[in-house]
Amino acid sequence: MKKDLKKVRNIGISAHIDSGKTTLTERVLYYTQRIHAIHEVRGKDGVGATMDSMELEKERGITIQSAATYCSWKDSDINIIDTPGHVDFTIEVERALRVLDGAVLILCSVGGVQSQSITVNRQMTRYKVPRIAFINKCDRTGANPYRVTQQLRDKLDLNAIMIQLPIGLESDLEGMIDLVAMKAVYFDGDQGDTIRIEEIPAPLREEAEGKREELLDAVSMFSDELMETMLEETEIPEAMIHEAIRRGTLSLELTPVMIGSAYKNKGVQLLLDAVIAYLPCPTDVENTALDLDQGESEVVVSNNPEDPLVALAFKLEDGRYGQLTYIRTYQGMVQKGDTIINSRTGKKSKVGRLVRMHANEMEEIDGAGSGDIVALFGIDCASGDTFCNGVNWSMSSMHVPAPVISLAIKPIDNKAQINMSKALNRFTKEDPTFKTFVDHETSETIISGMGELHLEVYIERMKREYKAEVEVGAPQVAYRETITQRAAFDYTHKKQTGGSGQYGRVGGFLEPLEEGEYEFVDGIVGGVIPREFISSCDKGFQKSMVKGTLTGAQITGVRVTINDGSYHAVDSSDIAFQLASIGAFKQGYSKAMPVIMEPIMKVAVEGPSEFQGAVMGSLNQRRGVIVGTFEEGNYTVVEAEMPLAEMFGYSTTLRSLTQGKAEFTMEFATYKQVPKGVAEELHKAFEAQKKDA
Amino acid sequence: MGYEPLVQQNPLRVLNMGRENNQMGLVMARAGLGKTALLVQIALDAILRGKRVIHVSIGETIDKTKSWYDDILQLILQEHSINKPHELIDMVAHHRMIMTFKVAAFTRSRLEERLNDLILQDIFRPNCLIVDGFDFESTDREALEDIKNLMESMNMQAWFSATHHRDDSRISPTGVPAPCHEIDDLFDMIILLKPERDATIQLDIIRNYGAQVEGGKGLLLDPTTMMVKEI
Repeated sequence: MKKDLKKVRNIGISAHIDSGKTTLTERVLYYTQRIHAIHEVRGKDGVGATMDSMELEKERGITIQSAATYCSWKDSDINIIDTPGHVDFTIEVERALRVLDGAVLILCSVGGVQSQSITVNRQMTRYKVPRIAFINKCDRTGANPYRVTQQLRDKLDLNAIMIQLPIGLESDLEGMIDLVAMKAVYFDGDQGDTIRIEEIPAPLREEAEGKREELLDAVSMFSDELMETMLEETEIPEAMIHEAIRRGTLSLELTPVMIGSAYKNKGVQLLLDAVIAYLPCPTDVENTALDLDQGESEVVVSNNPEDPLVALAFKLEDGRYGQLTYIRTYQGMVQKGDTIINSRTGKKSKVGRLVRMHANEMEEIDGAGSGDIVALFGIDCASGDTFCNGVNWSMSSMHVPAPVISLAIKPIDNKAQINMSKALNRFTKEDPTFKTFVDHETSETIISGMGELHLEVYIERMKREYKAEVEVGAPQVAYRETITQRAAFDYTHKKQTGGSGQYGRVGGFLEPLEEGEYEFVDGIVGGVIPREFISSCDKGFQKSMVKGTLTGAQITGVRVTINDGSYHAVDSSDIAFQLASIGAFKQGYSKAMPVIMEPIMKVAVEGPSEFQGAVMGSLNQRRGVIVGTFEEGNYTVVEAEMPLAEMFGYSTTLRSLTQGKAEFTMEFATYKQVPKGVAEELHKAFEAQKKDA
Repeated sequence: MGYEPLVQQNPLRVLNMGRENNQMGLVMARAGLGKTALLVQIALDAILRGKRVIHVSIGETIDKTKSWYDDILQLILQEHSINKPHELIDMVAHHRMIMTFKVAAFTRSRLEERLNDLILQDIFRPNCLIVDGFDFESTDREALEDIKNLMESMNMQAWFSATHHRDDSRISPTGVPAPCHEIDDLFDMIILLKPERDATIQLDIIRNYGAQVEGGKGLLLDPTTMMVKEI
């Protein structure tokens, strides 16, 4: 059971939508003999690609959820996480990146580096994931891998270096030149199964030699041995070059660039070789956990299968047989019959079935060692939980952005009501950026998430997977309120209606808090408010923060300091001080110049330059601040900071403005104060709504 | 605007340069001496006086260019206690637009088209144009005159940066080194940056408001911020 960790690769495949990563994964599974026939993403055979397991994905031709799959290539094991391509699902991408050791960044040879690739690349940099670039679709008209490589350097700031050259391009793509071995490689047979290695064709010889020099120059930085051999001008062993490329890749200072066409079955096997040769194995990467018994101090996981178990549940799926939990083990082993402990809840569970996933099919196994990615059945947990046995560690919490948009949903009948709550329960467990709650004032069910599309997909899934038809309200922006200046309060809560009365006085001030949502400072001296009631004050202030007076939105960014007060020996109580604090907050809040804040999104629109003026006009009309433009040839990117409230329906506007030739991506940037005019309207609407209710 | 005190350590204020429209300025230095930082200072000087600036960056990314501004703005904020820093940051964002071009994509006609896009739709009315990374080596006099005319017709000020190479000894009679030695008459203001032994940068003015300045006017700058070391 013990296996050589040097021969395990946990990799992700991520890229811009439509650059063909599902097709590529399909080919990988075929060549590693996990599947025996190739189905196209939008294939005529109606089966769909193996990795797109959700029905909705099959229909739209995009991959929404990452399915983990396992395969082996030349005595090494590879776990592949297929990651979603749309920016609205970045939590999925980020979560996948967390458990990966390396990644393949796929780019379209025509489209090149698009905005989504930029986002994904930024995420990979954040999680320090070494990567290989694969320039796909070299058979398409307009393919130019050289230009894409340059873009990797310019736009993504990667030290990208080609380790292959194409033999022919577009429809003439025949194969590629391996610049390390200095051989031409061709792929014969219907599915490209047979690899034929030949001498480099004479007309390409000179170019190949030039490019090889460039490659050697770039990688010699990472190997003194190679540098010396080059200076001696003797024959350079291939292994030495591979080793130098590997070192460069692992240090994140080099990105080897490979080319091919998954659709035409060219170059995939070489990519697999490169995954083994250049991407890290679990022991090459240092992962840290937080020791919950030592005040969350950081500890490095050992990767040693002999040590106590530490595993991260990074993905949940609702299968036919109940909840399927994907885990990555960081140290220790997990075996059938073991008892594992969820370090968040402290709950013990027994491992029943343990499986290895191949997209939609599964293989039952008895145990999995450190560094592996497997799935468990029947374990109740949420995504992001850590399982331990013997230690009390938690893998560092993942960066979860707060939702920026919400929708009211209403089930159409009683049956839908039941199914809807099942679905919502599942989705919130699977996706930490998706939240749901019931608004008690309107008794509507509200769902919130990271963008319009994000919520749309869940509504679709409810309909399809859970047969829950719902009516959908207009999307609402998650506004917030905050204060802009310091204001004092001094409030007495007094009630005398027979029996024991209530008495509490709280004095102090509110002030803006630059970072963080809420802070409570206890500045009471001399016991003017007794110790036991300090937490009552804190509770009262926190309660006041839930709903602001301007729009009813949550209040954030407030520091409350209490420094004065008084109490009554008999009439003071927990509730009296809570109420006094609520009154005090109200008093201070109105004087502290409260303002409404709205989510601002970072938007990138890209398309042909001829539409740049129109695009900028449309962004400007929507209260956007245009940060800048980038032009290359006939292609332009406009970057802007836009209020989310103005972005509803923008995809339709953009399509009609640019004949469907431009596209945009959006991600949450920050919260900013709403301009006066808009704030007044929001306040009026809120007042009107209050009157109606 | 109330922000003017913030620019008192800006070299332009100290030298009293760049107040008027319709002028062309040039910053010259060897690679790595801080031309971009000085251009960003020039832009901030204009922005803090309420002008709008287009920053053209040739061969750079939007993010990199933006981070120049963010960094220098942070330094200004650190030195002066400002009541509402967010308002200042917002104000700079509203008064600045970054345009980045691939080397080959930047031409006068492209620039004019972009400026007109902005002005006609009333998106942004620039008063000042900053051009960083302009390729003087392969530009002829006519192309630059063309841009000068465009600036005049749009009533805008323009500042360029140019890199001169250590081994290129060509120089104009007025002291302007290559590659601008034959076109120096097109500029109303010319600044030359030189490294000093004590890791500061010396700023020399060769020409100011069209008038030749003899012997320059040495001003020592902090190399990280391009702000005046001592007033």
